[in-house]
Amino acid sequence: MFFRFGSAIFLVVLASAAGIALEKRNLELRREVSHQRYQLDVLTDRHAKLRLKTQQLGAPARMLDSLEKGELQIRRPEKSVESQPRRVPLLFWQRSTPTTR
Amino acid sequence: MPIDRRSIHETPARSPRVCVVIGLVLLTWLVLAGRLVQLQWISRPQLSQLADRQRSMIESIPARPGEIVDRHGRLLATTVTMRSLYVVPTRITEPWQFALKVSESLDVDADQLFERITKNRTKRFLWVHRRLDDEQADGIRDLDLPPHSWGFREEYLRRYPQGKFAAHLLGLRDIDGNGRGGLEQSLGSVIRGQDGRRTLVRDARGRVVDVREDVAEAPRHGRTAVLTIDAVVQLYAERELETVMKEWKPKSACAIVIDPRTCDVLAMASRPTFDPNRPVNVPPAAWKNTAISAIYEPGSTFKPFIVAWGLQKGVIAADSSFDCENGSYRMGRRILHDHHSYGRLSLTDVLVKSSNIGMAKIGERLTNKELFAASVRFGFGRKTGISLPGELQGMLRPLKKWNSYSTGSIPMGQEIAVTPLQLISGIAVLAGDGVLRTPRLVSKTVEHIDAIPEDVPATSFRPTVTSPAIERDIGRWLVEGPLVDVVKRGTGTKARLEDYKVFGKTGTAQKPDPATGKYSSQLHVSSFFCGAPANDPRVLVLIVADEPTVGKTHYGGTVAAPAASRLLHKTLLHLRISPGGKPLREARRP
Repeated sequence: MFFRFGSAIFLVVLASAAGIALEKRNLELRREVSHQRYQLDVLTDRHAKLRLKTQQLGAPARMLDSLEKGELQIRRPEKSVESQPRRVPLLFWQRSTPTTR
Repeated sequence: MPIDRRSIHETPARSPRVCVVIGLVLLTWLVLAGRLVQLQWISRPQLSQLADRQRSMIESIPARPGEIVDRHGRLLATTVTMRSLYVVPTRITEPWQFALKVSESLDVDADQLFERITKNRTKRFLWVHRRLDDEQADGIRDLDLPPHSWGFREEYLRRYPQGKFAAHLLGLRDIDGNGRGGLEQSLGSVIRGQDGRRTLVRDARGRVVDVREDVAEAPRHGRTAVLTIDAVVQLYAERELETVMKEWKPKSACAIVIDPRTCDVLAMASRPTFDPNRPVNVPPAAWKNTAISAIYEPGSTFKPFIVAWGLQKGVIAADSSFDCENGSYRMGRRILHDHHSYGRLSLTDVLVKSSNIGMAKIGERLTNKELFAASVRFGFGRKTGISLPGELQGMLRPLKKWNSYSTGSIPMGQEIAVTPLQLISGIAVLAGDGVLRTPRLVSKTVEHIDAIPEDVPATSFRPTVTSPAIERDIGRWLVEGPLVDVVKRGTGTKARLEDYKVFGKTGTAQKPDPATGKYSSQLHVSSFFCGAPANDPRVLVLIVADEPTVGKTHYGGTVAAPAASRLLHKTLLHLRISPGGKPLREARRP
């Protein structure tokens, strides 16, 4: 009788403990997801700001004058997409711009 | 002892005081029960709604607007997060001190801020300054303002890294994030995304104690729009327009560059312009995208369409010739003139010399009905359907309002008004495959904010509407024959290029004088369209200058042709189009 009663109590306690554990885990995960969302937002925004800065610095409006005047050095890719030299026409600013390899 | 039976059955008489007390208790209970019924039953819906409103609060989670990039992924518009400062007037005990401190750090007037705070003393939220930069936000933090009386709220700010570049195409966003003009307006729902929401549970003091995840909805961020614009070509167009504005000082000007095969817009620029990053003190004229929102009589640039339609209908042939009456021709009550006296001119020379009399004679052969049909077939008198707000449909009067004047006027580009975009779309029919297409500005939309346009799943923005206009060979003959000759030996010689075979047509349209209502000899719209390579056109350029004021001659060949030619040349070089028409990479394939 006592054994049965004890077992029943034990089962109830076990189920409750499992429920509490699950609830805690659920809360933890929700917190984690929430935190990750926040981190993603922060990173996305940081990325957007950095991208904005790089695009401002490399904007054609800012670079083209200097490139055409040959004031900027262009770093060409190590491996050219075209194996043969271009026949015609070359961009004017590339003709006069010193290049580095 | 005998029992008195009466005394058993009779209840003792209650005193009136007891009765009153019992009555009062009963009444109290009755009132309480009634109140309970009222609260729990009659007023239940309203009260539970009120409680719900006090307990929970729905907070909107703003969606991040998508970016706008050019065809190579160069950033044209993006969104960054900024902090906006608000105050809680009910919690500010010393408004003047508060206002003074804030004004030291921000560019706000202390008196005005004080007045605003005192006026809104009962409110719990008041914006002070929106979208502060990091330095300003740090400055506010250092002020040591009373706690719980102020705060920052994050808001999105639209930035345009290229500045004035393509301002009319992009448009801008107002302080509340709504698109105003350009693609920001027309792509509103695509770029804006959909705000999310979450329900917050508050305690009696209004502090948030829980977030109800079950009713939360994540925001759907805006998609990134990939344009057909090439930022470098756009820059060339902007620079050439600046040159035209400086050299000729017109009221306004615009430049459009398109690929005639697909009608993809490579560049579209308009002057005067504005900086979407600082849209303050902008003159009203600068808001107008003259490429789509200004109409003008196309003048001689309209002549190729009539010739093409005449060939299509078989009323003229490529080897036809016309007597140009030595420069003066009576047409009904009207006498038409040419700039120079011409005798008999071939069809090619009618276009090369831009003879009004020759064109009027073609008009006579076509009749008004076919002239109207030609205008409709090339897309005039209706919107092109480009994805930009504010496009005008031009002016094509109903056929029943046409008269004998129209037979002479329409073939030389009068009595009809077009937008520059309509005109270049029509030219693309001649230079392309004879099919009229909707000009395309947005090639696709992509999900990811930083994706390379070619590598990600994309959604076509809008299908291109096509309608056959003329036979391909007619357009080809016109482009490779008369229109090449216009540049070689006609009115457009200033557009000649050494490397490429260029075709083009000048237009010098007289404008009506507002004072007299007649055509003015001083006010002109100078325009020029050109394209290359003539044997396989890959690029079309149109430049229109409205009312040039410098100098006496405002011919399209003088004002617009040099700039159009430079723009065409630079674009061809940038796109690496060989004089044969193929891009170099394609040309090398076996």
